Amino acid sequence: MQEDKINSNESEGVFNDFIDEKVSDMIDEILNEGNLDTLGDRGSEIIVEIDDIVVPTFSYGDGSEGQGGGGQGPGREGGKIRFNLPFNKFMALLAEKLRLPNLTKEGKGKIKEVSYEFRTFAPVGVILDKKRTFKRSLRTSIGTGTYAPAQGRYDIQFLRRDKRFKVPQRVEKPRFKAVVFYMGDISYSTYGQRLASEKKMVNFIKNWLDFNYGARNVDHRFFVHDVKAYEVQENEFYQVGNIGGTRAAIVFELIYQIAFGEYDTGTTNFYGFYFGDGEIFGSDGQEIVQILKEDICPVFNRIGVVEVFPSQWSKLIVELEKEFVFDRIVRLSRYRSNSDTVLTIKKLFAEPGQE
Amino acid sequence: MKPVKTDPVLHELESRVIWHANDMGRTLPEIRFFILDRIEFASLLEKHVYPTSPVNIWEGKRMVTKKFNIETGQESSLYYEVVQTGNPAYAYLNNSNSPMMQASVMAHVVGHCEFSELNVLQDSNPDRTEYVMHLVKKVNMGQQQMGEKNYIQFWNAAESVIPLIAPHSQHNLAHSVEDDSFRYKEAESVENDSPTPKLMRPYSYTMDVLLQYDSVEVAWEKEQKKKDHQEQISRKGFRLYRPCQDILGFLCRYAPTSRAEKAILDYMYVSHSSHDFVIRSQIMNEGWAMYWEKKIMLKLFAEKAVKGVIDYARVFSGVCSPRPFFMRNPYHLGYHLWNHIEELYRDGKVELEFIEETDQHKKETWKKPARTEPVAAMEHLVRTITDYEFLRRFLSEELVEAFYLNRIPKMYVNMLGLNKETIIRDDSQFVWIDPRLVKEEMLMFFTHFQRPRIYLIDTDFIDGGLLLLHRNDGKKLRKDWIRPTLRNIHYIWKGAVSLVSGGSLFTYSNNRLSEKNVPEMTFEQVIEQMKKSEKPISA
Repeated sequence: MQEDKINSNESEGVFNDFIDEKVSDMIDEILNEGNLDTLGDRGSEIIVEIDDIVVPTFSYGDGSEGQGGGGQGPGREGGKIRFNLPFNKFMALLAEKLRLPNLTKEGKGKIKEVSYEFRTFAPVGVILDKKRTFKRSLRTSIGTGTYAPAQGRYDIQFLRRDKRFKVPQRVEKPRFKAVVFYMGDISYSTYGQRLASEKKMVNFIKNWLDFNYGARNVDHRFFVHDVKAYEVQENEFYQVGNIGGTRAAIVFELIYQIAFGEYDTGTTNFYGFYFGDGEIFGSDGQEIVQILKEDICPVFNRIGVVEVFPSQWSKLIVELEKEFVFDRIVRLSRYRSNSDTVLTIKKLFAEPGQE
Repeated sequence: MKPVKTDPVLHELESRVIWHANDMGRTLPEIRFFILDRIEFASLLEKHVYPTSPVNIWEGKRMVTKKFNIETGQESSLYYEVVQTGNPAYAYLNNSNSPMMQASVMAHVVGHCEFSELNVLQDSNPDRTEYVMHLVKKVNMGQQQMGEKNYIQFWNAAESVIPLIAPHSQHNLAHSVEDDSFRYKEAESVENDSPTPKLMRPYSYTMDVLLQYDSVEVAWEKEQKKKDHQEQISRKGFRLYRPCQDILGFLCRYAPTSRAEKAILDYMYVSHSSHDFVIRSQIMNEGWAMYWEKKIMLKLFAEKAVKGVIDYARVFSGVCSPRPFFMRNPYHLGYHLWNHIEELYRDGKVELEFIEETDQHKKETWKKPARTEPVAAMEHLVRTITDYEFLRRFLSEELVEAFYLNRIPKMYVNMLGLNKETIIRDDSQFVWIDPRLVKEEMLMFFTHFQRPRIYLIDTDFIDGGLLLLHRNDGKKLRKDWIRPTLRNIHYIWKGAVSLVSGGSLFTYSNNRLSEKNVPEMTFEQVIEQMKKSEKPISA
């Protein structure tokens, strides 16, 4: 008996790869439909359901239920495999799909967070690093002459010494603090589709920043404005409404005051996201540009301005575009339909020019 | 995984168990005991009780599910005993069991190992576990040759054929296919089907043929048939002359596969073929193991090698608790039947004298030692019969009642579709049904094992394609699984594959499934056609 430990790690790995593929397909579907509701509550695990896989065989039963096997092997019995997907893994996959870069973090981050990540590689282990192993095997095969396309030899030998496994390593990361200001214009008709779209985006931003900084390290604060600006609870952010005049500059002014007054700007990362119909009056646009340029941009990591279902009178982004086209800090987006959800997210978070 | 000798207490118990088994005259192979933790145990079961297995998604799925169930408390990780018989036999102990439980597991394993050595199906073979480990290595090498995608596709296709293993069926490979390796033997058996009376004993086969009183037509026909057979074998390498139920065995041997693909099929066949033995002899096997386990454990308790006789009694009665016939508990039924048989032989109730006795009172109080030792007679049964004959011969109507096999919880009455005529009495919780029906049903199980019976009946159906027959059991196959299953067999055979089921002919060829109506044929008609070397169904 050569085996010292009986285990099914490699087979489990193959199954997990299969699940990863399924999850990846599922995320593609979510992104194609712009349906980010699956994200669930803040930081909670995501429950994923996929079609169960069963070996098709000649068996008795009612043929009316379920469908036949879709692939060469796995068949479908009509049942479901249900499992929890860790929030961080889900967000990492989502970020990969959206090609979102990690957010640049600032601050001293004195407090350390410890985690174990697969950063190093070793000749023994459990999880085979296929790419690295293949590279080494290819190099060896070229060296030993078994792979020589010029002579028509294409064999690649996988020798034990070429195998490389992923090995977990203790990683200490500084813990950063972040504050996110969500700003909403309550003077316009925020209900129905507008409300749903705004909720989707706010939900994604919350999850994305929680994923980047850690849920405990992010303050999410909500502000609304008409002709005045004030802070509200999250649930009120979607409920309050007022028909009348509006002035957006004051809410930018307010978050700037709060950022300076309540937080240490040397150790905190600031984010601000504005949602509104973009209908501004008088010199509101110029004032916002001035506040952004002089006060906010020097200390904020990112400012996003989204015109939700803009009309012909929406002028906010027009004003801002004069000053902040392809800006690293200030990102602008017009949300015209549900299919713009992913585009808006990309505009808010992708590198300039990559969206 | 640790050898048992690393634990002094268990090592001592092992030596005592083996000593008592030998003292009782048991026929044992070499038994190697190992200690596993609970996750290793779970993994071992998913590898079909072999320490290694090739990488596959199904094992991964089952293992991930099992780990989740164990961690969330939905499944117990306490397994009673696991043994891979053969010589040497490998038995595995769960490290979370108490010494008393470990001793009982060892004693139980002794019973299984002896049964494997003695049984009529000749289950035990040398170095079985080692051979499977060798096959795993071949599959792993083949995986690299095939490439990951092809390997996974072929493995998944082969999984579909696993239920089509029947090495112990009367329609197994040896009785349905002839090739160069056993052509002459089978040719003789075909001849014997229609024996010609011989008037004199010839001294050579040539003389035998010359002196037979066959007409010229018959002799010509025979000669032509023999020529056809030989041509077919030399052309294809084999000839199917009867329906073959061991379809995976057939594919292993005759499918046009690469070496890597063959390694996968060989592994599948070898690692799963013992299931056929288990299903055909489970009642006798588990009963035999329980019978000797108890005898050995009583010796261990008597010599105080282990403590906890009350706990053992509790576990034993739990394992041997009665269940209705359709939820058959092989431990309970087997153990009590073996005890009953021991009593029959001990009291001489199998002698002709007892059977011919007409006085009922004398019969009831009969106690005359038999000429055969009870244990020797029981061993003879192990060597000669399987579960079907075991139940047919010994499970009387009185025993069906005594073993509570006909006692059914009321909640199952509707599910089983029992009518009033079959129920003989009831109380608030249970109904009792006619014991004759119970025995009939239990014997019926061994004809189909509650699975569809699929046979290979033609190997040259459509362009060298296979033709399978679903033997009519009055049930329909799950239709939406016919296509993927045929596709998987097609992937292995690399040619058209057809299935006749209930008057329909399904053919999978060129990535398409077609269905057409054909006249329904009985299994017996198919055999007759094949005997005449005619195609059972024309394409």
